Amino acid sequence: MRVIRYILLALVILPALALIAFGPRAGESLPPGRVVVEYWEKWTGPEEQQMRQIVDAFNATVGREKGIFVRYVSTSAINQKTLVATAAGAPPDIAGLWDSNIVPYAAEDALEPLEDLAAAHGIGPATYKKAYWDACHYDGHLYALISTPGIVALLYNRLAFEQSAADLRAAGLDPDRPPRTLQELDRYAEALTKRDASGRVLRSGYFPLEPGWYVPYTWMWFGGDVWDARSGKLTLTDPKVVAAFDWIAGYTRRLGAGAANEFRGGLGNFDSPQNGFLVNYVLMEQQGPWMANYIGNLRPDLQQLKWPRDVEMTKPVAERRQNYSWAVAPFPSAAPEVHDVTYATFDALVVPRGARHKREAFEFIAYVNRPDVMEKLCMLHCKNSPLATVSREFLDRHPNPYIGVFEELAGSPNARGVPQIPIWPQIFDELTSIGQEMSLGKGDAATALARAQGRLQASLDNFRDKQRQRRGQGGSISAATRGAVN
Amino acid sequence: MPAISARGREALKGYAFIAPWLVGFCTFTLIPIGLSLYYSFCDYSLLQRPVFRGLENYRTLASDGVFWKAMGNTFYYAALSLPLCAVAALSAALLLNAKVRGQAVYRTIVFLPSIVPAVASAMLWLWLFNPKLGLINFALGLLGVSEQPGWLGSERWAMPALVLISIWGAGNTVVIYLAGLQDVPRELYEAAELDGAGALRRVWHVTLPMLSPVIFFNLIMAMIGAMQVFVLPLIMTQGGPARSTYFFTYYLYDNAFVYLKMGYASAMAWVQLLIVLALTALAFWTSKRWVHHSAA
Repeated sequence: MRVIRYILLALVILPALALIAFGPRAGESLPPGRVVVEYWEKWTGPEEQQMRQIVDAFNATVGREKGIFVRYVSTSAINQKTLVATAAGAPPDIAGLWDSNIVPYAAEDALEPLEDLAAAHGIGPATYKKAYWDACHYDGHLYALISTPGIVALLYNRLAFEQSAADLRAAGLDPDRPPRTLQELDRYAEALTKRDASGRVLRSGYFPLEPGWYVPYTWMWFGGDVWDARSGKLTLTDPKVVAAFDWIAGYTRRLGAGAANEFRGGLGNFDSPQNGFLVNYVLMEQQGPWMANYIGNLRPDLQQLKWPRDVEMTKPVAERRQNYSWAVAPFPSAAPEVHDVTYATFDALVVPRGARHKREAFEFIAYVNRPDVMEKLCMLHCKNSPLATVSREFLDRHPNPYIGVFEELAGSPNARGVPQIPIWPQIFDELTSIGQEMSLGKGDAATALARAQGRLQASLDNFRDKQRQRRGQGGSISAATRGAVN
Repeated sequence: MPAISARGREALKGYAFIAPWLVGFCTFTLIPIGLSLYYSFCDYSLLQRPVFRGLENYRTLASDGVFWKAMGNTFYYAALSLPLCAVAALSAALLLNAKVRGQAVYRTIVFLPSIVPAVASAMLWLWLFNPKLGLINFALGLLGVSEQPGWLGSERWAMPALVLISIWGAGNTVVIYLAGLQDVPRELYEAAELDGAGALRRVWHVTLPMLSPVIFFNLIMAMIGAMQVFVLPLIMTQGGPARSTYFFTYYLYDNAFVYLKMGYASAMAWVQLLIVLALTALAFWTSKRWVHHSAA
């Protein structure tokens, strides 16, 4: 019995000792004498590693010189963790949020204003493309700068256009170019769609819910707006917004509700080899520049039609594009006279309220926004740049040979950022749901949007009333210095 | 200083021993429960100080269409999932209780899904339910079903799909039923057999009444679980399509952490608690009619 007891004891103690002796160690040692800046970021996988390169470079150069060490933590659900940590008074010094978080968090005084620090570093309106610069602001204050941006364009299957040249010509369309208006896009989509004898959709020229990320922003391409900033009223029933959602419903009407639903259900996950675009189920979609990285990982054959990657990179951009089965163009707008309409999205770097090292944190944010660093990071992440100008090398050496198209779009006067409404996440979810309803062939856009308008306007009014009262009562920590929202 | 009696010393020792648990309970359960009750009467975003608003959150809930939609979805799910899970788990338990070769292996196979992490099983089911490439529609095709469901992409079929997954993960319930079955006295079966009862009659007149306390326990647990379903829709459908799988807890979570309405979410949590309490009370009330407790 005693032997068994010793054996059991040893089985518990020995692994514990082994764990202490040989177990995992913290991957980094914090250098003494430096201010440690906590930086929480959302990325995982390659994007995390790429950002880590930037952090390491900062720590080895500017950080060493100025006595700052950035401690980079990759975490999921970044917005919720930042929210809870900020509420608890123990936020990170920098949080890598989404653009849609900026206004709701700023409206709750959860972010530190950065305009003074930005000005001290020479960062101003001229530094950025306008759509991005505007979207970093709320209520006259700068609350964020950008780590990497995105811009939405039309990604189309150039090879499929060539292979369907006869069908496109029969429909009076040119197979050698992308659609230039939304009406033309619908005609291309119709000509490229294939069904089997039973009416099942085998491939769709365009399908609004693939990938469907930008459905809540569709009104941008119709020249509409979901709110009037001056009056503070939502305008979801604006005819252009209604037309945008009716356009989504139009695809279901043409394909048939049953066939459209079945087709949608058969589309694979975005980050998988079964991605609808990669398996030729959907031939045109709204996408950002990063798609080149995903295609390179999942279906490299689609971007090595002529040469291997290393050979391609030695050629001029115009020639490089021949290596790709796909191409990029501005997503056409409903109004033919309005060109280069796009949604400018981005990953934001913010300093949450209560951060202990605001000044040091901004040193890192400013470093990321240095032209050479920003271009390096955006090339690694396969994204465009938020900065007003980019180098020739950025355009020539970028992994996406169509980066020039994305850059032009991002600089367009018709590029727009996330709407600056404090309850935008709620509106976004509502519009996503309406987009799905339209895609299911359920109800009509006007009724659905009228229902949402009433509900969301009440919510927005309620938010503003409470905010006014709260600030009037001095409930907010920094309200006194910032004034009322309206 | 007055002397502490032996009984008092014993009580002190007792409290000292449970002090770690007591501190943890108060810090992480009792105080948060109390605070959430207070926040449910407040305008509270988590980022600002709570401002007392009386019953405003509860009044808003009453006229919130999405709240009622989420509530309806949750009841619909519970109405489908509870009886189907109970029947499936009980049937599986009865089969697994049969003395056959490889009994332990079969029991392990049935229990296995309940230890698969929710995310992993969600990914698996996403593939199985794929209307074009999934095995389920492939099997339906072999059976000659031409109009195959769109499953997770369909407003009509997304909910039944989630219910099917819940049945797949009923291994825990099966184990509890199995344990209950071991307690059914053999002599009752023998007496029933002598009276000429067949297999089905023995199940109906002996097994089910004797198992009724276990069925009751599983019913309560399953009901609480159904009212709190969250992870699978979050991963598999994100509440869609068109909010057809948007559940009560999902909406609560969105209000708390996405829309920054922690006060409103707290009110929802208390409504949820009251609903669960009411349903549990109802189950206890009806249990007098159908739950048989064997005499000691």
